[in-house]
Amino acid sequence: MRNFELGIVLAFAMISVYSAPASGQSKNPTNSSTAPSSFDPHDLSGVWFDDHPRLITVQQRYWAYTFTPDAPPMTPWAAAKFKTAKPSFGPNAHPLAESNDPLYHTCAPIGFPLIFLYPLPMQIVQTPGEVIMLFEWDSLRHQIFTDGRAHDTALGPLWMGDSIGHWEGDTLVTDTVNFNDKTWLDRMGHPHSTDLHVVERIRRIDHDHLVDDLTIEDPKAYTKPWTARLPFVLKPKWTLAEQFCEDVESFQTIDQDAAAPAK
Amino acid sequence: MRSDYLAVVFTAAIVLAGSPAMSGQTKPPSAAAAAPSSFDPHDLSGVWFDDRPRPLTTNERYWIYKFNAEEPPMTAWGEAQYKATKSSFGTRAYPLAETNDPLYHTCTPPGLPRIYLHPFPMQIVQTPGEIILLFEYDSIRHQIFTDGRQHDTALGPLWMGDSIGHWEGDTLVADTVNFNEKTWLDRIGHPHSDALHVVERMRRVDHDHLVDDITIEDPKAYTKPWSSRIEFLLKPKWTLGEQFCEDEESFQKLDQDAAAPAK
Repeated sequence: MRNFELGIVLAFAMISVYSAPASGQSKNPTNSSTAPSSFDPHDLSGVWFDDHPRLITVQQRYWAYTFTPDAPPMTPWAAAKFKTAKPSFGPNAHPLAESNDPLYHTCAPIGFPLIFLYPLPMQIVQTPGEVIMLFEWDSLRHQIFTDGRAHDTALGPLWMGDSIGHWEGDTLVTDTVNFNDKTWLDRMGHPHSTDLHVVERIRRIDHDHLVDDLTIEDPKAYTKPWTARLPFVLKPKWTLAEQFCEDVESFQTIDQDAAAPAK
Repeated sequence: MRSDYLAVVFTAAIVLAGSPAMSGQTKPPSAAAAAPSSFDPHDLSGVWFDDRPRPLTTNERYWIYKFNAEEPPMTAWGEAQYKATKSSFGTRAYPLAETNDPLYHTCTPPGLPRIYLHPFPMQIVQTPGEIILLFEYDSIRHQIFTDGRQHDTALGPLWMGDSIGHWEGDTLVADTVNFNEKTWLDRIGHPHSDALHVVERMRRVDHDHLVDDITIEDPKAYTKPWSSRIEFLLKPKWTLGEQFCEDEESFQKLDQDAAAPAK
């Protein structure tokens, strides 16, 4: 429970402190009846923010720490790994000082697709041969090559993987492989192996809304492929701020806050 | 000398490992006689790489650790700060295990303008209101707003600062303030304070070449503003690789390599 509370505090602090233009955005983010109706479905550019429903209890906000409300179909290998995880989120939450989340205490890169679970804005920029997602958190980028190239296995195991994409009608289909296995798949400690294969189907469904349907395949960790939907809302007045994981410092501060009496 | 040797190894490894597209690029980078002659001077987009003469001895290659061959005009405060640093580069190099370079052992962000001294490619992408420099090293971005906004002091002290820019003819003039003072200005330990003010004049001098004239002003650390020219060469076939400062691992590996007998 203590960590659930921290989760809220952290998420709100980030939204209010690091997204300065967000102030004044008090209306329901899904209320977009006045949005312009004309848009180019192949233009995904802009600043986007998580569009899951708000104003529900923390326990229901599974998307702050995992991809789906149901447990993914783990293999025995994955179940054993998951059992040793000490996350700071979710039903099995541990105090931060006891967590073995690889991100805490070292600030290792978050990796993909875990980056989608961090509640900070994301900006898409496009060039003739690339669609690039820039994440506010830790300055990460998810660079998707759309110039027709194939995967380059010589790139070696990567934190963010090696991503290529193509358009199928109005849907950008991305394919990401070549992962290392140093990251958790989510903030609860579900694992992945170097066989992780992520397919995204990204579609701008109207001017203000984008959905990213993720399919996660990893035969070592999961008995079958499974999917998750990430909804985003356009934030035309926002810009990305700076939000670095500053080694142990940021987490020490959080630990101190956690040790203080609850308000 | 051990550190100078390390620098060579490190740079060579980076060039080979981080930029796979580079293999086969054996001719001198300045041989650009066949370059297309037509270009839009307001289009800076593309992948750019340091365009300094090679090869030279490590001691001559000052630009991998500082901005100018000669010393910047330090104040007494600046001198005292500089004296306390233990850089792993240059004539007074310390072994990596003994350096107090804030990047080593914690992987904090290099900040601006130091990021320009890390010898990795940089990609520029442009949107209607921004020019964004994406650095291969540590996924750092330098986001310059060209939409007419002012500096936002509410952004608080930042690693990369708060950058706004405008065009003066064919030169992009970028102005950056709101820095924290947790970074070194360069890789040899020259300091800066939170009064640091960086002005960049970026100009695409021909199709294949970009220059960035950087003026550094910081009345607490330097007796007068001083400047440095950074030159870039377009690399049309390159794409950014992934190059994270992975907590201490990469440096531990370097330490081990350094301890091994020279080949």
